[in-house]
Amino acid sequence: MYKDLYHVQLKFMSSSSIFSANTKTESSKNQNPNSKMEQAFKRTQILTNHLLQSSPSSQTLSSNACLSYSPPELSENYAFDIKDMRKLIDRHNLEERDWLFGLMKQSKLFNPKVRGGKVFVSPDYNQSVEQQREMTLKRIEYLLEKGAFKGWLTEKGEDIEMRKFAGFEVCSIYDHSLFTKLGVHFFLWGGAIQFFGTKHHHDKWLRDTENYSIKGCFAMTELGHGSNVRGIETVTTYDSNTGEFVINTPCESAQKYWIGGAANHATHTVVFSQLYINGTNQGVHAFIVQIRDADGNICPNIRIVDCGHKIGLNGVDNGQIWFDNVRVPRENLLNSVADVSPDGKYLSSIENPDQRFAAFMAPLTVGRINIAISSVYQSKVALATSIRYALTRRAFSLKQNEPEVLLLDYPSHQCRLFPLVAKTYAMSFAANYLKMLYVKRTPQSNKTIHIVSSSFKATFTWNNMQILQECREACGGQGLKTENRVGQLKGEYDVQSTFEGDNLILMQQVSKALFAEYMAAQKRNKVFKGLGLEHMNKPCPVIPLQLTSTTLQCSQFQMDALCLRERDLLNRFVADVSKCKAKGESSEQAFMMCYQLAQDLGKAFSDRAIFQTFVDAETTLPAGSLKDVLGTLRSLYALICIEDVSFLQYGYLSVDNGANARREITKLCTELRPHALALVSSFGIPDAFLGPIAFNWIEANAWSSV
Amino acid sequence: MISRLLELFLAYEEDPNVKLVMLKGEGRAFCAGGDVVAVVHDIWAGGWRAGANFFMKEFSLNYLMATYSKPQVSILNGIVMGGGNGVSMHGRFRVATENSVFAMPETALGLFPDVGASYFLSRLPGFFGEYVGLTGARLDGAEMLACGLATHFVPSAKLPMVEVALCDADSSDPVIISSIIDQYCEKSSLKEQTVYNRLDVIDRCFSQRTVEEILSALEREVVDQRDGWISATIQTLKKASPTSLKISLRSIRVGRVQGVGACLTREYRMVCHVMRGEFSNDFLEGCRAILLDKDKNPKWEPSKLEHIADTTVDRYFSKVKDEDWEDLKLPTRSKFNLPPYVIAKL
Repeated sequence: MYKDLYHVQLKFMSSSSIFSANTKTESSKNQNPNSKMEQAFKRTQILTNHLLQSSPSSQTLSSNACLSYSPPELSENYAFDIKDMRKLIDRHNLEERDWLFGLMKQSKLFNPKVRGGKVFVSPDYNQSVEQQREMTLKRIEYLLEKGAFKGWLTEKGEDIEMRKFAGFEVCSIYDHSLFTKLGVHFFLWGGAIQFFGTKHHHDKWLRDTENYSIKGCFAMTELGHGSNVRGIETVTTYDSNTGEFVINTPCESAQKYWIGGAANHATHTVVFSQLYINGTNQGVHAFIVQIRDADGNICPNIRIVDCGHKIGLNGVDNGQIWFDNVRVPRENLLNSVADVSPDGKYLSSIENPDQRFAAFMAPLTVGRINIAISSVYQSKVALATSIRYALTRRAFSLKQNEPEVLLLDYPSHQCRLFPLVAKTYAMSFAANYLKMLYVKRTPQSNKTIHIVSSSFKATFTWNNMQILQECREACGGQGLKTENRVGQLKGEYDVQSTFEGDNLILMQQVSKALFAEYMAAQKRNKVFKGLGLEHMNKPCPVIPLQLTSTTLQCSQFQMDALCLRERDLLNRFVADVSKCKAKGESSEQAFMMCYQLAQDLGKAFSDRAIFQTFVDAETTLPAGSLKDVLGTLRSLYALICIEDVSFLQYGYLSVDNGANARREITKLCTELRPHALALVSSFGIPDAFLGPIAFNWIEANAWSSV
Repeated sequence: MISRLLELFLAYEEDPNVKLVMLKGEGRAFCAGGDVVAVVHDIWAGGWRAGANFFMKEFSLNYLMATYSKPQVSILNGIVMGGGNGVSMHGRFRVATENSVFAMPETALGLFPDVGASYFLSRLPGFFGEYVGLTGARLDGAEMLACGLATHFVPSAKLPMVEVALCDADSSDPVIISSIIDQYCEKSSLKEQTVYNRLDVIDRCFSQRTVEEILSALEREVVDQRDGWISATIQTLKKASPTSLKISLRSIRVGRVQGVGACLTREYRMVCHVMRGEFSNDFLEGCRAILLDKDKNPKWEPSKLEHIADTTVDRYFSKVKDEDWEDLKLPTRSKFNLPPYVIAKL
C-alpha cells in the first residue's frame, strides 16, 4: 500500500513552493477583464460588509467602537502544568474519560451545535418530556454499542470499579438524566442483584443487565416513606402451596413513587417490601418482579403511572407503581441475607433485624458516593464557565476613556469565585479519598464508608448548589440561557440534596455516629481510633490571640482550628444529649432535641475530613509551582471554613481574628488571580461540554452565526 | 524551507499590503511530507536533539498557520502527505482538485500522525479521523471535500483563474474569498468504491476503546461480510508499528478534547520520545525499511500490541526527562486581532 507513497523524494515540499502573497493595490482592480464579475464581487462585498458591519472604510473606527473578544488563552500564562494538575484531581482513567468524551462529541445523538466556530454538546432541554426520555435511552444504547459499559457488572475488582466511577463522572458532565438513568440500571438494580442476590441471581441477571437485554429499576421509595425505608408499607407473603411470593400495595401511601425508569422503559424492578411469614413481620426484603414484557406492555396486576414533569431531570422516566397481589417465584427473593424455604420457613444468618437491615442498605452507599462525586463535576463545569467568562467580559471603566475593567479584575468578583474554586479542589481530593475508601473496602470499613459518604454527599451537594447559584449570577443574564448550562444545572442537580438520603438527615446520622464513637471510647476508657478523630486524644489545640498572615496560612494552625471546633462541638453535643437523657428523654428524643448542634457537628466533621484529604494530596507533591498553588488553595479553603459563622458563634475566634481571617482571604484571592485560567483548565472538562459563554460569546451571538 | 516559511509568514502578517497567503506546490505534488531521511541522518549524526530542532520549527510553523490572522489558501493539486498537511490543513481554505491525494502515513514509518494531525483528524466526522490516522488511508479530492479536510473542490484547469480572481479581489475577508473560490468549484463526485460510503463500519470499529478492540471489531465485520476493503484495512493495521498505532490512537483521542496549541505541544513531547527511542526504536527501523533499504520489511519492537502496556503509552505523553529539554514554546499571538475561526481553535 505504501509502495509509491514515498516515491516522491521526501524532501520537505517535494519541490520548492511558490508563494503568491496578494499585494495588489486598488488600482489594479480596474484591469480586471471581467468587469461584470467584478461588479458582482463588489456587490457581494458590500452586502457582506453590511452583514458583518466591517466595511473597509469604517474598519478602524468600528474596531475602536466595538468590543472584541480576546481569548484568555493568549493573555494568561500557565505557571504550572495543567495536565499534571488534572492528573492529580481526576486521578484515574484519564484515557478512558477522554475516549468517552470523544464518543459523545462525535455523535449526532448528543445534540452537537456549532457556536462561534466551536462544537458544543448538550441535551436539548426544550424537547418534550417524552422526547428527552427517548433521547436519554438512545444515548445509552449508543454508548452500550461502543462498549462503554463493558464489564460493569460482569467484571470484578478495583480496576473495573474505578473505570465505572470515571464513566459515571463523564456521563454526569454531559447530562444528569443520562447519569441517573444509568445509575438506576447499573448501581441500584444491578447493585441490588450483586449485593442482595446469590449466585443463581448473578448468573441469571448480571450479563443481561450489562448488555441491556433487560432494563432494571429500583422500587424502594413510597409515597408515604422516603428516607425511612424501614417504615415502608408494601406487603409480601409466601404461598407455600404454589411456592410463590405475593406482593401487594395495601394502601395509597404504599404505592412506589419516583421510581426512575418505571414510567416508560424498565422491564424489571427490585421491590422492597415488608415480608410476613406466618403472620410475623421479618422486616424489609427485596424481590425481583417483571413489570413489562419484551414488547413494553405492562404486566398483569401491575399499575404504573408517570410522575410527570419535574424541575429538572426530565430525561428520566420516574413512575408510580401499584402491585395488586403480584405473584413471583420463590427464587425471586434476593436471598443473600435471608431466605424462605420451599415449605415457608424463614431462614437468616443474621439474627438481629437491625443488622439485617443494615446489610440491606450497604449497597446504597455506592449510589451516595456517585452522587457526591458527580456534584463536584457540576461545580467544575459552572466554575470553568463563569471564570472563563469573567476573563473576557468587561464592565465599567474606572476613568473616562479608559477601557472597561475585566470582571475578574474586580476584587469582589475574585472573592466571589475563587473561594468556590478552592472548595471544588478540596472536594476533588475528598472525592478521590472516598472512592479509594470504597474500592478498598473491608467488612471493618463499612461503618467508616457509611459515615464519610453520608457527610461528603451532604456537603458536596449543598456546596454544589451554592456554587451553581453564585456562578449563574456571575455570568449575569447569560447564566439564564439554557445553552450556557450553568443555570440549567441548578434545576438538574437540585434533587441531589435529597437523593439517597435527605442531606439534613444524613448530617444528623453523622453526628449520631460520632456520638457513638465518643461513648464507646469513654465507656471502655479507650482512645479514639478511625474517622480522623485521633486528634481527640491529644491536648486541646489553642488558637493564638493575634493571628498573623503567616499563622493563618500555616496548615498546622488551619488543622488545629478545624479540630478545635469538631472537638468542642462533639463535647457539647454529648453533653446536651446526655442532659436530655438525664431528664428522662429517650435517646431518639434527645437526638431530635439537639438537632442544631448535630448539624453544626456534622459540618465540622466534614470540613475537617475534607481538609485532611487536601493536606494529604499536597504532601505527596514535590516542591514546585504545582505545590505552591495548591498551598494557596488549601489556605483559602481552610479560611473560608474558619470564616464560617460557627467560629464566632461558639467563640473559637475573636472578632479581631475573624477580621484577620477575612483580610487574608482577600489577599489569597489576589494571589490566585494569575492562576485563574490554569485552575479551571485543569478541571479537564472539554470545551464542547461547557457553554458557549465560556468562549467567543461575541461570535456565538453575532448576526452572522445566529 | 521551514525556516524560510516561518520568516515569510511572520513578515506577511505584519505587512498591511498582504491580504491573504496562497500556498501551492511546484510540480506534481503539493508536498509529500517532511524530509524524514534528512531527520534520520541528523539523528544518526547529532543525536535526537538535532531531530527535535527540526520538529520544533515545523510545529511552530503549523501553529502560526493555525492561528494566522490572515486567510491562507492552499492549493492542493497533487500529493499532500504528512508535513504537507501540516502546512495546509491548519489554514482557512484548502482547495482540492482531481489530482489531490491525501494521507497521513506515519504509522507505517514507526512515527505517528504529527504536525497537528491530532487536532484536525480528530475533528473529522465520527471516527473517520481514527481510521485515516491509524491506517494511513489515501483520500482523493472528492473524499477530502466530503469529510471536511478540503473546503473547496476546483478542477485543476481552473486554478489559474482562481489565483487571478483572488489577487484581484484584494481582500482578507474570508466570506469574500470563499465566495470567489466557490465560483470555480465543481461538484466532485465520490467514487463508487469510496471509503466514505463505509462510514458506518468505520464508526462501529474505529470508535472502540483500544487498538486491539478496533482490530477485533474489524475481524468481526469480516466474518459477517466477506469484504476486501475490511481485510485490507486489517492487513494495513497489522503491518504498521504496534507502538505507533497505540500512541497515535491515544493522540487523536486526547486531541479531540484539546485546542490546537495543546495538540502541537503534546505532539512535540511525543516526537521527542519517539526520536530518543527510550521505549522503542520503531521510527529509525521504519525509516530504514521503507525509505533507506527499501526492503519494506520493518522489524517492529515491541512486535505485538499486547506487549505494549498502557503505562508505556503514558510515557510518550510525559515531559522528556532531560535537563535541557523544554516543552514546545508556541509563538506569541496575542498582539494580533485574530479572526473568530482562529479563536475557536485555541
